[in-house]
Amino acid sequence: MSPKLLGERIKRKEDPRLIQGRSHYVDDIQLCEMVYLSFVRSPYAHAKIKSIQAEAARKMPGVLAIYAGKGLEGRLGLIPCAAGLEGLKVPDHPCLALGRVRYVGEPVAVVVANGRYQAADAAAKVEVDYDPLPAVTDMDKAVAGSPLVHEQFGDNIAFVAKLEGGDWKAVEAEPSVKVIKQRLINQRLAPLSMETRGVVASYSPGEDTLTVWSSTQIPHLLKTQLAVMTGVDEARVRVIAPEVGGAFGSKLNVYAEEGVACFVSRQLGKPVKWIETRRENLLATIHGRDQIDDLEIYFQPDGKVVGLKCHILADLGAYHQLLTPAIPTLTALMILGCYNIPAVWVETTGVFTNKMSTDAYRGAGRPEATYVIERVMDMVARELNLDPVDVRLKNFPPPGKDVVLATGVSYDTANYQKTLKKVLTLSGYKKLRGEQARLRKKGKYLGIGLSTYVEICAMGPSSRMPAGGWESGTVRVEPTGKVTVLSGTSPHGQGEETSFAQIVAEELGVPYDDVTVYHGDTNQVPMGIGTFGSRTTAVGGTAIYHAARRIKKKMARLASHKLGAKPGEIVFRDGKVESQDGSKSMKFGDVVGEAYFAKQLPPGVEPGLVENYVFEPPNYTYPFGAHVAVVEVDSETGEVSLRNYFAVDDCGRILNPMLVDGQIHGGLAQGIGQALWEEHVYDENGQLLTGTLMDCAAPRAHQFCWFETANTETRTPVNPLGVKGVGEAGTIGSTPAMVNAVLDALQPFGVRHMDMPLKPEKIWRIVTRGASETA
Amino acid sequence: MIPESFEYHAPQSLAEAVGLAAQLGEDAKLMAGGHSLLPMMKLRLASPRHLIDLRRLSDLRYIREADGVIEIGALTTHFQIESSELLQKNCPLLPETAREIGDVQVRNLGTLGGSLAHADPAADWPPAILALDAEIKAVSPQGERWITGRDFFVELMTTALRPGEILTMIRVPILPPRAGDAYLKLRQPASGFAVVGAAVRLALNESGHVESAAIGVTGVGPKAYRATATERELAGKSLTGRRLAEAAAHAADGMEANSDLFASAEYRRHLAAVYVRRALQCALERAGA
Amino acid sequence: MRIEGSRQLAAPRETVFQRLMDPQSLADALPGCEKLELQPDGSYHTTLKVGIGSIKGIYQGRIEIVDPVPPESFRMKVEGKGAGGFLKGEGRVSLAAQNAETLISYSGEAQIGGMMASVGQRMMRVAAQQIAHQFFEAFARHLALTLPSTSLPEPDDSRRRNSS
Repeated sequence: MSPKLLGERIKRKEDPRLIQGRSHYVDDIQLCEMVYLSFVRSPYAHAKIKSIQAEAARKMPGVLAIYAGKGLEGRLGLIPCAAGLEGLKVPDHPCLALGRVRYVGEPVAVVVANGRYQAADAAAKVEVDYDPLPAVTDMDKAVAGSPLVHEQFGDNIAFVAKLEGGDWKAVEAEPSVKVIKQRLINQRLAPLSMETRGVVASYSPGEDTLTVWSSTQIPHLLKTQLAVMTGVDEARVRVIAPEVGGAFGSKLNVYAEEGVACFVSRQLGKPVKWIETRRENLLATIHGRDQIDDLEIYFQPDGKVVGLKCHILADLGAYHQLLTPAIPTLTALMILGCYNIPAVWVETTGVFTNKMSTDAYRGAGRPEATYVIERVMDMVARELNLDPVDVRLKNFPPPGKDVVLATGVSYDTANYQKTLKKVLTLSGYKKLRGEQARLRKKGKYLGIGLSTYVEICAMGPSSRMPAGGWESGTVRVEPTGKVTVLSGTSPHGQGEETSFAQIVAEELGVPYDDVTVYHGDTNQVPMGIGTFGSRTTAVGGTAIYHAARRIKKKMARLASHKLGAKPGEIVFRDGKVESQDGSKSMKFGDVVGEAYFAKQLPPGVEPGLVENYVFEPPNYTYPFGAHVAVVEVDSETGEVSLRNYFAVDDCGRILNPMLVDGQIHGGLAQGIGQALWEEHVYDENGQLLTGTLMDCAAPRAHQFCWFETANTETRTPVNPLGVKGVGEAGTIGSTPAMVNAVLDALQPFGVRHMDMPLKPEKIWRIVTRGASETA
Repeated sequence: MIPESFEYHAPQSLAEAVGLAAQLGEDAKLMAGGHSLLPMMKLRLASPRHLIDLRRLSDLRYIREADGVIEIGALTTHFQIESSELLQKNCPLLPETAREIGDVQVRNLGTLGGSLAHADPAADWPPAILALDAEIKAVSPQGERWITGRDFFVELMTTALRPGEILTMIRVPILPPRAGDAYLKLRQPASGFAVVGAAVRLALNESGHVESAAIGVTGVGPKAYRATATERELAGKSLTGRRLAEAAAHAADGMEANSDLFASAEYRRHLAAVYVRRALQCALERAGA
Repeated sequence: MRIEGSRQLAAPRETVFQRLMDPQSLADALPGCEKLELQPDGSYHTTLKVGIGSIKGIYQGRIEIVDPVPPESFRMKVEGKGAGGFLKGEGRVSLAAQNAETLISYSGEAQIGGMMASVGQRMMRVAAQQIAHQFFEAFARHLALTLPSTSLPEPDDSRRRNSS
């Protein structure tokens, strides 16, 4: 038998080249006569541009050209927003500011020079005269309406969306129902990928072709958008995502700098490179989260939650990037989590402020929802003096039963009781509670925090996605028998070159090493959407699975024709294509030879062995899990130390446990980072205060304990592989578990809620002064 | 992240470096490990016309015992200090402090001399230098002079080094008998610097009373300082937990505390008291009490 | 960002006030002052080299004295910009006579933008206090050197008493 591949800890095909530093990122691309860009950015959060003086800069050595907003007007299209919400206000978003700047870091002008240093030196010499205007950074003030980010709209409200379900009259009429009101703040974060953004654009005037290397998650979508923005015929645009050093959603976008690089290359007929600095990355790459959730929780004395109202205020920033307004709508959709709460009311208000746009950051709207509902469960438990485990059990739907929630959402398959039970066993929950009680008597504060999340991923059915939710996969068996796989997804660290090879090798019965996966080049991969929303394996992998099945079908036909067997009795194993009993057998390579030499093809069969499949998912998938965080709080200083972390995740069928662990580990780091350390802070004038890694905390390995992970496998019926997706689960599940743990530790101090990040000073103040001042 | 242009000098000897530094004066910055200066140059917050790279002066990298003191060359890296058996035996406060600095990469390149000359208000070395009564040697064409730790830190990112002077050596006393050291800090999660850190050297006399207590505190104000009020409270006393706490409560007396996004002035003062107490407790245990 | 502090000056209040209103005295006292020009509207245009340690930058700015109440108080508006960003501030300076000496107190709000704001928050407050302190130290030295009857004042530690 062929070695079993699916479900095994196969080492990553990607790693040798990455670990040895022998791979190529955008900044490794070197082209002849390449020139460099440096952007002049606004130091003001809101200002009129009175004038731009570039004479001194133009005289600097190596400077070729300088462009400002006016020079691009009508020649380079606006930055696109794909989110289609009813009544959405969409402000013009030019690649370089026109007349007015609306956030610190907004690009105002660009310098093109022969060298990168020359460009930076000249950019520092461009004098922009600003007339500063009052800025608005606080969402409540922005909603109140002054000052205005975009005067033409008359207010700062980009959209209001409502979602309502269930019988509210019944909830409100029930005399035993209690209500908690609470505001939760989900702070702004920087996605902080290790590799910053970068783009190389090369326009060839002779061929009239535009080739773009970009550190992006969506090469195909970017190709279409850049064609629209630049006016170059889309058939002449090629986008390549080379090695991409992390993205976390921040590169699921079309950015000003990408548009400008293409424009400049076309103007000058030379290749153009721009590599983002870390400072620019913190200022002008999209941010995540930044949401205020005002809650009213309706619950019964037994812990059953009967209604949830939430007014979501979502800080969109100054402009819409690709999906900016769509992100908070995912919060509304998932706000009930895995609980059967019969009544829901959510009003989402998207607010313009003088800050960088928010957009998809790992989890994208779902961490906010999970944070809300998991805090709800703990607040109810605290209010009723119940164990948070019991409150959750009380509100779970029964296992294995299809439930349509009050939000109208219906999850695919789940068994929340099972993951919860498993994590309670894994963590020794009961023993921990005993230890907690003993330590409390000694004045030591152990906290145990729970989160039982469900998320939405494998995005998604095209009917629900802004630009299609399908994915394409191609399998080509080469004349030598080696297998080429092309995927329209664009993995950038997740490891699908490995898992896709596992799928194809197992299907075709060929050695794993014979399969090579390519992605990220629009001239190589016929069509695609990209990598985001934990979709790559569930949607892209399924397309590849189907393409491999098509290859098998064709090879079975060729083999049966040659062998005189029925196609239905042909099996693929050990590099052979043979009848079930092995009596009629051909080498895999010989069948391939039949296809390519095409001497004796069955009638109607085309030569060659290449098959494409475009998979349209019939639904999203809904992975779920149960996490337990154990923390110790130093009551004297307020410091939190993470003692243990237990995560039981169910992402459907697991193709490679090592890849799943990797995704969970990274996700936990980011989710715990949000709870404890991370915040991207603007002051009231719109100045970004966390503009370096000295101030903007990135979680690091040494800050964590060992993660104890485990899984349950509840296969989804949404795709034939049974996989759900795992890219965002760790981030989604861990933030509330951490906050619940810290608040559990602080229970003797009577505090119901604290906003993130749980910095030691906040905790110290609660411990020393009691909850009265912080509630 | 692209510095302004500057002239780069890589002297091969201390004499050459001293000559260059004197000749270029305030137009030049000296670079040792580069971990503080280069980031500021890349942000264009510092734009020296000349950069004098001292890294070729390998004879400024040493840790040695001489005449009852330990001498450390200014270019000795944090990692060399962290891993020095000589220091572990004779001045364990220094390896303990080094371990708290930044991360492995920073410790591999950053140097003791460079960090001291930069005088970041939250750096880890200054409190150790103060607590050890270390002396710092500065060299210029006029000759060499010794600066005490207490005189060295003048104000925010400002030291007693004169333009053109090169810091070449740090001299620390050997841990006496019945003495203990400790460095403890609350780490800023982004920078790894100390929000507040306390370095202690505590020596007891034969009857177990405090012979001397030297306490350096970093992170609280514009520069590291000696917690003299606490030291006074401890002098000559036999130490109980309560006495330590009472004395440590004065750890930020007279200091104007900094406040930033991570910690208010009030909290920093509180942390100073807590960390000084904990470091004292730890040093006391190590002193064999 | 709030900046405040005070400094004892060994000169009578009238003299201190008068010197603070005098462009030449100011130019002498301002550390790193490369240019200070009185404008027709009564404000000053200035070029200052400001910095802490190795972080130094050249800033172009405008200083305006408003609501002077000799010899008690005045308000000051400051605007400046340079490669490190921009600064805008407004504050009040008051002078209290203490026998033959003067206690000068200042308090104000400063808004910092651009590079300095985004990379320097952890030190901004102490840096601003230090620069204010440097100014009054230099001003005290200027008084001491130019007033015949007084000697060089002892360095004080008024900063220690300042609160933020």
